[in-house]
Amino acid sequence: MIIEMREFTRVEGNGKAEIVIEDGEVKDVRLQIIEGPRFFELLTLGRHYYDVPDLEARICAICYLSHSVASVLGIERAFGVEVPEEITLLRELGLIGEFLESHALHLYLLVAPDVFGYPDAIRMATKHGELVKEGLALKAFGNRIRVMIGGREIHGINVKPGGFGRYPTVEELEEIERESEALLRLAKRSVRLFAQSDPYGAQAKHFVATDGYLWGEKLISDEEGAFHYTERIEEHSLVYSFAKQSRYKGEAFFVGALPRLLLKSEMLTPTARRLFEEHREKLETGYVSYNNLAQAIELVYSLEKANEIAKTLLDRGIEGENVPVEPREGEGIGYVEAPRGVLIHHYRIDASGKIAYSNIITPTALNHAMIEASLLEEARKLYGEADERAMIGRLEETVRAFDPCISCSVHLVKL
Amino acid sequence: MMDKLKLAVFELTDCGGCALNMLFLYEKLFDLLEFYEITEFHMATSLSEGNHYDVALVTGTVSTQRDLNLLKEARNHSEYLIALGTCATHGSVQASVELPIREKLKAVYGDGGNPMRALDSKPVVEYVAVDFALPGCPYDKEEVYQVLIDIAKGIEPVRKDYPVCLECKLNEYECVLVKKGLPCLGPITYGGCKAVCVRSGLGCIGCRGPLPGEVNPASEYEILKSLGYDDEYIIRKFKTFARWEP
Repeated sequence: MIIEMREFTRVEGNGKAEIVIEDGEVKDVRLQIIEGPRFFELLTLGRHYYDVPDLEARICAICYLSHSVASVLGIERAFGVEVPEEITLLRELGLIGEFLESHALHLYLLVAPDVFGYPDAIRMATKHGELVKEGLALKAFGNRIRVMIGGREIHGINVKPGGFGRYPTVEELEEIERESEALLRLAKRSVRLFAQSDPYGAQAKHFVATDGYLWGEKLISDEEGAFHYTERIEEHSLVYSFAKQSRYKGEAFFVGALPRLLLKSEMLTPTARRLFEEHREKLETGYVSYNNLAQAIELVYSLEKANEIAKTLLDRGIEGENVPVEPREGEGIGYVEAPRGVLIHHYRIDASGKIAYSNIITPTALNHAMIEASLLEEARKLYGEADERAMIGRLEETVRAFDPCISCSVHLVKL
Repeated sequence: MMDKLKLAVFELTDCGGCALNMLFLYEKLFDLLEFYEITEFHMATSLSEGNHYDVALVTGTVSTQRDLNLLKEARNHSEYLIALGTCATHGSVQASVELPIREKLKAVYGDGGNPMRALDSKPVVEYVAVDFALPGCPYDKEEVYQVLIDIAKGIEPVRKDYPVCLECKLNEYECVLVKKGLPCLGPITYGGCKAVCVRSGLGCIGCRGPLPGEVNPASEYEILKSLGYDDEYIIRKFKTFARWEP
């Protein structure tokens, strides 16, 4: 017998799952990504490098800047371009804007209705209007940062190899400094709210993240030594899904906010670090549902970090100079922490600056096996205990905890 | 108080941005809810209670059989259907890879192919008649707000009929095509985005699709040639967001 879950709601993109029952037991779970393939790697082949980050941004709306930055980092590494601290800080600020926008969307509009028992945030707003407004305030602030750094709320083209089209003004940075401080109170409240939830899903055994908090030169895991993705991560096609599945040394693994906290807590800002320590015991159990709590702690991190970066830039002043980029034959990988986990853009570029090879792996594709494992675990726990509707509701929550971004997960190519 | 109109948002294959952009309306979304009741919007709600919609917004391209079924469902059950965003109106970037679907799938999934059925990505307007087409990757959210308010008030919304250059000039941005020699598609692209890319000092990439009528793509082509861009580059640039035209 197969229990079919209908298409997931309150997630980005189109996906569903099947629960396979044999002899009265849950035998298997298949996560089906039914979003159509979008062929981004093919799209970029033969294109001039300068246009590529704008195209790659369109892989995902919720985290377009992560894609732009990963693309730019891959291109710059292929050409051996080094950018000064000012540009690095501004890119970090953009990624922080994306954390705020994406985490607030996920926590307040997509997950909170589960916590309070509503089908959506709009209906939840009749009774919990303040909370929804707080979420929207955080989200809107994140988006203002994305407009400032990325050029617009969705699919901006301001992030370029070597720098930016336009640099922020002193007034804009002052606003970031002011607002990030004012909103901190809301983020702390969100940590209290999501700290209350019960654990569900599987307990992850392997965690993977980039070696810096927001991006890196390489990946790190719970084992020793930084590594390139090609060394330990393998992808394979599935017969029931447009997304491929990745495994870390043959096993399911987890990328996202929880893995970031567990692997990189020493890089957190002071209040975020204190909150992490306060909830460490819980988080270290590795239950995927604590990803929600981890995202709430990252809201605090993001606001503190945005404040810190704005201060630094205001002290030093903005020069607004781009680094010249000369194409040459090369290969480069951009590793970025998108809000929902590790994002990889890998390019080979020819001497004329055209893309000769491109491979992109998104967080949801990396988490695919872990999502299945969590559904399996949860379905086994609930099958026969809860009625089918309650079971499916909880399974949907289990998927949601990963904050999956299904649109992005469907174009993993090895050419 | 009159009954609220039933509003549906359907997502076919896309980046999620056109659905997300509705949520970015913030308070204005609540203003819209004075006139509309959302009965289908799976990114935002777990409720799905409609079988008749006054207004359906359809985003994304038709890239699978599921997309096509959903589109027909939306068309058959709605009074007023809006193709929303460049995927739905022109196909956008995912439709611009000009290989047959079989070859594309082989490149991605290997010789075994993928047994799931995928279609060559095409815009919504290729399959069904639409009542309004609002392009943009993403569309301008103020524009969709105005369109929905117009419909609620019984006014037929107006389609923009000027190029990006018009809003660029109104904002007094420096012309990046003439002054910086950047490849800017502003002169031949549908306006309505407030020239947002030129605001960043960068060229328009044509994400709202080509403006029909009194525009001169031949002249744009000549200008880009004279700036040193080669044929292949220019043609790809022209077709990136609009391999299909509505």
